[in-house]
Amino acid sequence: MPVTAALGLRDDLQVVGRDMEAEQQALQRLAAWCYQYSSQVCVPGDRPGLFLEVEASERLFGQPRQLAQRLQQELGRLGYHAMAGSAPTLEAAWLAVHEAAHLAETGAIRRQLGPLPLARLQLEPAQITAMERMGFRQLRDLLRLPRKALTRRFGPALPDYLERLLGVRPDPRKLYQPPETFSARLELPAEIHASQALLFPLRRLLEELCGVLRGGDTAAQAVCITLSHEDADDSALELGLQSPTQDSARLLTVLRERLERLRLPGPVRAIRLDAPRLLKFNAGQHTLLRDTPAERRQDIEQLAERLQARLGPGAVAGLTGVEDHRPEYSWRTRALGEPPRCTALAHRPAWLLPKPRRCAIENYEILAGPERIESGWWDGRDCRRDYFIVRDAHGSTLWAYHEYKPRRGWYLQGIFA
Amino acid sequence: MGVPDTSPFGHPPESRLKPLLQMTHKPAIDALLNATPRLWQGRQCSRGQPALPTGHVRLDARLPGKGWPLGAVTELICGQPGLGEFGLLFPALADIGEQGQWVVLVDPPWIPYPAALQAHRLQLGRLLLVRTRNEKESLWACEQALCSGRGGAVLAWPERIAFARLRRLQLAAEANAKLAFLFRPENALQESSPAALRLQLEPGGQQGTRVNVIKCRGNRPAEPVWIPQPFSAYANPTHQTPEHALACPSTSAPGPRPVHPGPGQQQDPDRPQRYH
Repeated sequence: MPVTAALGLRDDLQVVGRDMEAEQQALQRLAAWCYQYSSQVCVPGDRPGLFLEVEASERLFGQPRQLAQRLQQELGRLGYHAMAGSAPTLEAAWLAVHEAAHLAETGAIRRQLGPLPLARLQLEPAQITAMERMGFRQLRDLLRLPRKALTRRFGPALPDYLERLLGVRPDPRKLYQPPETFSARLELPAEIHASQALLFPLRRLLEELCGVLRGGDTAAQAVCITLSHEDADDSALELGLQSPTQDSARLLTVLRERLERLRLPGPVRAIRLDAPRLLKFNAGQHTLLRDTPAERRQDIEQLAERLQARLGPGAVAGLTGVEDHRPEYSWRTRALGEPPRCTALAHRPAWLLPKPRRCAIENYEILAGPERIESGWWDGRDCRRDYFIVRDAHGSTLWAYHEYKPRRGWYLQGIFA
Repeated sequence: MGVPDTSPFGHPPESRLKPLLQMTHKPAIDALLNATPRLWQGRQCSRGQPALPTGHVRLDARLPGKGWPLGAVTELICGQPGLGEFGLLFPALADIGEQGQWVVLVDPPWIPYPAALQAHRLQLGRLLLVRTRNEKESLWACEQALCSGRGGAVLAWPERIAFARLRRLQLAAEANAKLAFLFRPENALQESSPAALRLQLEPGGQQGTRVNVIKCRGNRPAEPVWIPQPFSAYANPTHQTPEHALACPSTSAPGPRPVHPGPGQQQDPDRPQRYH
């Protein structure tokens, strides 16, 4: 139907130009997403669809009809409208899509697809018009003719197509190979002004990403989100996780925290989501018993991610000892993945003051000491100290030292809390 | 409630109630009662309250479940640092680490000294430090930590915390069987609290640290306990009593926190600064 005729029927019609390139890109991404349901995915290129080999995964996902329903539902959640059909050959399956038919054997192709009008066939429009002029109306009219007659009238391509349709001739295709990275762009139908409103389209992209990850048996640890604005530079948002994941819920919790504090420099026109590195996914064994060490590790990692998303990357850390006799240099924070190393020392306070504080020893009662610590001649922070355990007038037990080098004096350094 | 508590162990005299109970007893009711931890049952007071031994025999004896209450907030009220208040938890925190659970420290006021923690069997590998920028974030982080996973302990040092907020922490701890320890300044004594256990720590001279049980859910507050501190025995017995200490604040020592912390408190030179 021409656009003018359509507009004549409904004047509130919104006409959008078809973007073939975006369509192909979307198909490529969906092919990666579909990889989780079939290891043989084909992007035909000459039509807006995907082919999936489903027989091999029938035991896992059920009959083609059930799988089709599931795919339609899940694609719907990603914001795509999908139709599905299945048949023993590629070309027959393509025709079955419009009928939402699921043909189990080659014999059914002739029977069920025979009444289809010629316009449905994957042929040149000019050729279809020519056939219609000759009096052919339905697919079965063509199937009735011998191959020789068809070749003479329409060239060799048509009988070839019909034979592939019926499964007489093999139909080899190039299979889709999943990519090493993931990148998806979404043009928003309307500009988004509030950062919270970005959650909805981003959730779609994240779910798409996680489908691709499941399909390729890969996982992502960092996700980059680029927001394009009309009259400001792009703003970037990075979601980092403690360990690689395929779980969209985990990415979403981090995203939510980030969006809550995000200030948009202007309305958002388009969103791009990149996972620059897809890592090998190391799925832990799922156990029947909850509360395993692996699960606790996961819990704490997710907690760390949530906290970091809101408080900043430096907000969460572990603790480790450092081989140094000077207490102020004997500790540092560590990343969660790094194993701690530490030598236990008796008679040390639970807390260290961030900086030793000058004090007057007359105000304190010495309970124990001295313990000599002399170290650091090699790094220019040479010191010689005598440590004492002291008690102040209020009854607090503290750690104090008398320094001889580099400056003389009494200092407080710890609290026996 | 109306039946006087006559048993020597503090149990309700169940033997007298038994015939009555047998008539109406249904296992389903028991199952239902046990499934909801938020329901306080009279007999919880002296038995069956899940707890983790504190590692101090005398303190355990005073507490209803014979230990730190699991799935509950414990407030440790301490007018000044250096009374062994953090060390009081070390045996329990070490057990938690050995069970493979995590200990989360939310905004500790000073730097935990790894060598000392290691000497008390704490698992550094299962210790998480969280640093925030303000008290609001600190409480948020605390709640997040309590909501994540099951088991383990969360320690925090809030100066001020509203009753409703504290109640939320209590519910989060309950739902995830966590141990929550809040170190509070002395003015917290004047506030009411939904915490399951409130202990006040005071200097106890040579005997160590005096622990007063201010509140414990399911039991009457008991007599104070003295927890010996490693070097207390060397202290001069005539040196100073706590009363004396409060009467003469020293200028160079970390003194007691003001009862009503003002806005300038962070700048108090006598109070060791937070390390971030």
